[in-house]
Amino acid sequence: MAEISFPLPDLGEGLIEATVLEWLVSAGDQVERNQPLVEVETTKSAVELPSPQAGKVVRVYGEPGDKINVGEPLIIFEVPDDTAGIVGTVPAEAAPKRRVRLSAVPDED
Amino acid sequence: MEPHGRHSGTTPSHTVEGSDPRLHVEVYEPAARTAGAGEAGEGEASGDSGGGRRDVTLRPILLIHGFASSSKLNWVDAGWISSLTAAGRRVIAVDLPGHGLSAAPEDLDSYTPSRIRADLLQIVFDAGARPLRGDDPSSGLDLIGYSLGSRLAWEFGATQPELVHRMVLGGPGAADPLAAFDLAAAQRYLADGTPIADASTAALLKMAQLLPSNNIFALLTLVEAIKTEPFDPTEAVPRMPILLVAGEKDERAATMTDLAAVSGKASELVLPARNHTNAITSRAFKNAAIAFLAG
Repeated sequence: MAEISFPLPDLGEGLIEATVLEWLVSAGDQVERNQPLVEVETTKSAVELPSPQAGKVVRVYGEPGDKINVGEPLIIFEVPDDTAGIVGTVPAEAAPKRRVRLSAVPDED
Repeated sequence: MEPHGRHSGTTPSHTVEGSDPRLHVEVYEPAARTAGAGEAGEGEASGDSGGGRRDVTLRPILLIHGFASSSKLNWVDAGWISSLTAAGRRVIAVDLPGHGLSAAPEDLDSYTPSRIRADLLQIVFDAGARPLRGDDPSSGLDLIGYSLGSRLAWEFGATQPELVHRMVLGGPGAADPLAAFDLAAAQRYLADGTPIADASTAALLKMAQLLPSNNIFALLTLVEAIKTEPFDPTEAVPRMPILLVAGEKDERAATMTDLAAVSGKASELVLPARNHTNAITSRAFKNAAIAFLAG
């Protein structure tokens, strides 16, 4: 088994932190992808964060009322070793880099 | 977050009182019933929801968001769409004029509560809602409103008794903070920063300005229109069962009990430690709404 940590995601609008309102899962729970994990409140609104991952919850961070900064740990999942490297990879925020070819190349798909 | 679900762009657009309100409507189909009740689905629509995925089609639920909010903020981001569709419900979410992805017309009449109610009636009819027929669970319409959306739902239910089955009103009150809004003070503040004396007006304007996407001109036009039709819950009283829900610390819902008294058919739920802003995501709120509307 491997552990995967997920940070508080970027909530947009230039927000840098959120306050935990209520956890909807706890350590030991098996959760599905997109299952609601936690309610958090920013200075602008309250949102429910869906799980980015299926797996068993190892640990959650923050009690109701606690502030968490964007990028700080939010939750840790336990997943089978062979899936950790695949589903646990968080895509980088950078724009995709793509080479532009000036000559026509047949589509290989 | 991308809005998900099916856009109802293919439904015919009808004019109401001679003009098309150009309100943005999203219709979300019930999640496929797979193993595990209570599982939160994505609320994705299947293009042809043809055969046998669910045995009973339940009446749709119309969601009406609050002032300076939107369907995305009030219902999608707060987790309502996924909860309701996972519970097997079909959902119609409308952005109010000047809000979300809806048009922001310049004329005052587009924003009057009576005009908005007429537009909502046309929208739900186009989305497939039909009048109640006896015990047929597919007939009729349920409503969930929040704040200003609760006021609109109250009046919609009162004036459409043959259509509305039940309603859930969040953050509701018998008073009308928008009718009491000090427009002149707001306009002075926007012009030259003169502080606003009235605390409720200052708080509402601050809320409206929090989101850069909000159209302040349209929101103030809505306030102006509401002042011509302030909320009076005794003017038309909905006769169907109502669930009233508010955060314990919600000052705007302090008069919720008065609404319950006017209705005579309302039950009340108070959410500990929540306020007007953060009651909306409450799991207890969603679970109570789903159970109540299934009744």
